[in-house]
Amino acid sequence: MRSRDAILAALAPALRQAWLREPEPPRLVSIFGCTGEHGPSVHYLLDRGPAGYEEIVVEAAAELGSLTPLAPAAAWHEREVHDRFGTVFAGHPDPRALIGAGDDASAAGRFEFTPVAGEGITEVAVGPVHAGIIEPGHFRFSTMGDRVVFLELRHFYTHKGTEDLLAGMDAALATPLVESVSGDNCLAHAVAYCEAVEQIAGLEPPPRAQALRLAGLELERLVAHIGDFGALCGDVGFAPMPALAGRIKEDLLRASARFCGTRYWRGIAVPGGVTVDPAAALRQELVRAVAAAEREFASLAELALRTPSVEARFEGAGVLSLRAVRDWAAVGPVARASGAGLDLRSLRPTGAYRGRDVVPPVLAAGDVMARARIRVLEASASAQLILDALADWPDGPVRRDLPAALEGCGRGFVESPRGELLYWLLLRAGHIQRCHIRSPSFQNWPALPSAVIGGVIADFPMINKSFNLSYSGCDR
Amino acid sequence: MIGDLLFRTWRGPSRLLPLDALRGENAVGGRMPEITCPAISPALARRLADACPTAAMRCLGGTTTPDLGRPPVGRAVAELRSPATDARWRSGRPQVAANGTDESFFELDYALCVGCGRCAAAAPEAVTPARSLPICGVQRARLTRRWNLATGAECAPPAVPELPRLDRWLGRAVNIRQLDAGSCNGCEAEISALTNPYYDLERLGAHFVASPKHADLLLVTGPVTRNMEEAVRQTYAAVPAPKLVVAVGACGCSGGVFAASPEVTGPLDRIIPVDAYIPGCPPTPAMLVTGLAEILRRRRRAGRGDADS
Repeated sequence: MRSRDAILAALAPALRQAWLREPEPPRLVSIFGCTGEHGPSVHYLLDRGPAGYEEIVVEAAAELGSLTPLAPAAAWHEREVHDRFGTVFAGHPDPRALIGAGDDASAAGRFEFTPVAGEGITEVAVGPVHAGIIEPGHFRFSTMGDRVVFLELRHFYTHKGTEDLLAGMDAALATPLVESVSGDNCLAHAVAYCEAVEQIAGLEPPPRAQALRLAGLELERLVAHIGDFGALCGDVGFAPMPALAGRIKEDLLRASARFCGTRYWRGIAVPGGVTVDPAAALRQELVRAVAAAEREFASLAELALRTPSVEARFEGAGVLSLRAVRDWAAVGPVARASGAGLDLRSLRPTGAYRGRDVVPPVLAAGDVMARARIRVLEASASAQLILDALADWPDGPVRRDLPAALEGCGRGFVESPRGELLYWLLLRAGHIQRCHIRSPSFQNWPALPSAVIGGVIADFPMINKSFNLSYSGCDR
Repeated sequence: MIGDLLFRTWRGPSRLLPLDALRGENAVGGRMPEITCPAISPALARRLADACPTAAMRCLGGTTTPDLGRPPVGRAVAELRSPATDARWRSGRPQVAANGTDESFFELDYALCVGCGRCAAAAPEAVTPARSLPICGVQRARLTRRWNLATGAECAPPAVPELPRLDRWLGRAVNIRQLDAGSCNGCEAEISALTNPYYDLERLGAHFVASPKHADLLLVTGPVTRNMEEAVRQTYAAVPAPKLVVAVGACGCSGGVFAASPEVTGPLDRIIPVDAYIPGCPPTPAMLVTGLAEILRRRRRAGRGDADS
C-alpha cells in the first residue's frame, strides 16, 4: 500500500494541485483520451462545485500515475483509456481489461474474475443473456447462503465502438448515431450532442426550439420514471402496478407520436434547433395527456408504496451510502436518493431551464424505497415543467442555420433521466475529430455492488431495477 | 390497497387495440418513409439519396446488381477513418453512381432506414411518414423496394421462397425468447410495450419465456457486437428445433448505423440463419405485432400446406 503522498507525487502536477487545493476533493466527471493535432493527450474533467467544471489536459505518456487509489470513481475511466489508447496507469489497483472481448478466450484481454474462496462460498454467474427483455451484461456473485459477500460486474457486451464511428462524420449528420447510444434516453443524448455543437458554433437555438427540447426532455424523464416504477413493483410481485404504469406510459408515447410524429422523440433535436413545430391544437392535446398521466400516476404510486408487501421489500433494501455516492461519483436519481443533491437543471441550467427554478427532491435513506420515491417526486415535477413550458410557448422559428466548417472544442451537459450526461466534442472543418460520451450509467454501474453486497441475492433484481442503468449507454 | 388498484383497473375503459386497427395503422410514430408520388424522376431520386444519411435511399447504376445479402454502408457511416473496415464492406456494396447519367434505379431499403425524417423534409411532395407499413416479418429481399428511373415506376417485388415448415402441433401458440445482441435498448423498450394493456401480445398466443430452451422463436435485436457474437451462437444452439429467428430493428436487419464498426461482427444473418425481418428504429409495437402475426400466418400456411390468403 503506497502512501497518499506517493500517490499524489505520481500524478500530473495540475491534477495533483486539484486534489490538494480544497478540503473537499473535486467530483470526477470523466477521464478520456484524445488524439488531437498536438499529440495524444488524456483529459480529466472535474466538477469543482461553484467554480464550475475544470478540464485538465495531460500529455499522454506511456505511463501516468493512477488517480484510482484516491478516487475510486477513476477506476473504470482509467481502464477504458488503457484499453483504447494504451496508456498504462501505474498503481491502478485493478488493471484488468474493461472493454475486452466478451467470452473470446483467445483475446489478450481475457477477463479473470476476482477469486473469492472460503468454506461455504458459492459462485453464481448471471448473464450476459438474461431471463427477460433486458440488455446483456454479466454479474458474478459470491454468496454465503443467501447473503451476497461479493459482486463483480463484467459489462461491455454491447460495446459498439460508437465514439470511433462518430469520428470522421459530418457534425450535422451525426444525430441518428447519438440517438442510438441509449435508446430510451435518445433525446437527452441528442440534445447534449447538439449543445456541444452549438457551443462550438457560438449560437443558441431559438427560444421556441429550447422550449420544445425542455418539454421533450421532461417527457422522456416522465416516461422513464413511470416505467421504472411499474417495473420495480413488478419485481416484488405486485402485478397490477406494471400493467397500470405500462398503460400510462403507452398513453404518453402515443401522445408523443401525435404531438411530434415520433414515440421516443428520435430525429427531433438537430444542431441549431429542432425539426418540428407542433401547432397550438397539438400542444393543447399534449397538455391534457400529461396532466392526466401525472394525476393518475401520482395516486397509483402512493397506493403502491403504502401496500405492505411492497413496503416490506423496498424499505431498507439495497442501501447506497452517501460515502459510496462520493467514492464512485454517482449521479442522477441514484445519488439524489442517497442525499447528494446533484441536478444540472438547478446547478447549471442551460437552454430553457434557465429561469425555471427546478428544485430537485433529495432523500437521505439511500434504499430501494428512496429511489422509488425520488422517481415519483421527479415525475410530478417533470409533468409540471412540461405544463409550464407549454403554457408559456415562445414565438418564432425553431431552427437556426449553423455556420459551415465548424472548428473547435465544446461540451454539452444534460440532466438525463439517469443523471448527468456529457458529450465532449472536437470538430475540425465541420467534421467530428473526437467525441467522448460519458453516460450517467458508466458512472453509476460501479456503485451498484456497494448497494448489493451484504443483502440477500433474491433482492438483486429489485435493487438493480431501482438503479435502472443502461448497458448500451455505459458500453457504447 | 391492492383492492383499490384492481377496482380502478376494472372501472377504467379498456385500451386493448383490435387486431385490425394494429394492422391498419401499424407504423404511426415510427417515421418510416412512404413514397406518395406515382413516379420517381431521376432528379427526385438524387435529391432523396442526398438527404438520406444511412443510404436507405440510394441511386444505382444500370450495370451494377446490388448484392442484397450483404447490406451497404450508409454514406455517413462510410466516412469512417478505418480503411480496413470500409474495405470489408465495399466488396458487397452497390456501386453508387457519382452523377445522374448512368443511374437507372432508385432503391428504398427499409432495413437501413432509421426514420430520421430527412427525406420527408427534403421532398415533402413525394415522401411522408408512413402510417402503415405492411412489410414487417418478411424476408430480407422484400425490405428493399426499387424503382426504374427510365419509367419512374416501381419494380415488382422479388420472388422469395417460403418460410421453413414447422410442425403443425404447435398450433397458434409460440414461445418467444428475446435476445439482445448489442442493441441501444430502443427495440427492448418497444418489445416490452407488447405486454402492456394496449397490445397484450398473449392474446395472439405469443408468450415471452425466460430461457432459449423453452422457445420456438428467437426475437433478436442489435447489430451483433464482437463481445456478444459467441453468446448469440450459443443462445441459437440452445433453442430446440424447429425454431424461427426474427431480426428486429435497423440494427438487427442490417447492422443499422453501427454496421461499419470494427466492434460489430453482424448483422445477425452473418452469424445465424434468419427467417424474417422487422425493420424500424425502433419498430413500433404495432409493427412488431404485424411482423409476428405475418410470421405465424406463413408458418401456419406452410404447416397446413393450404393456401389461405
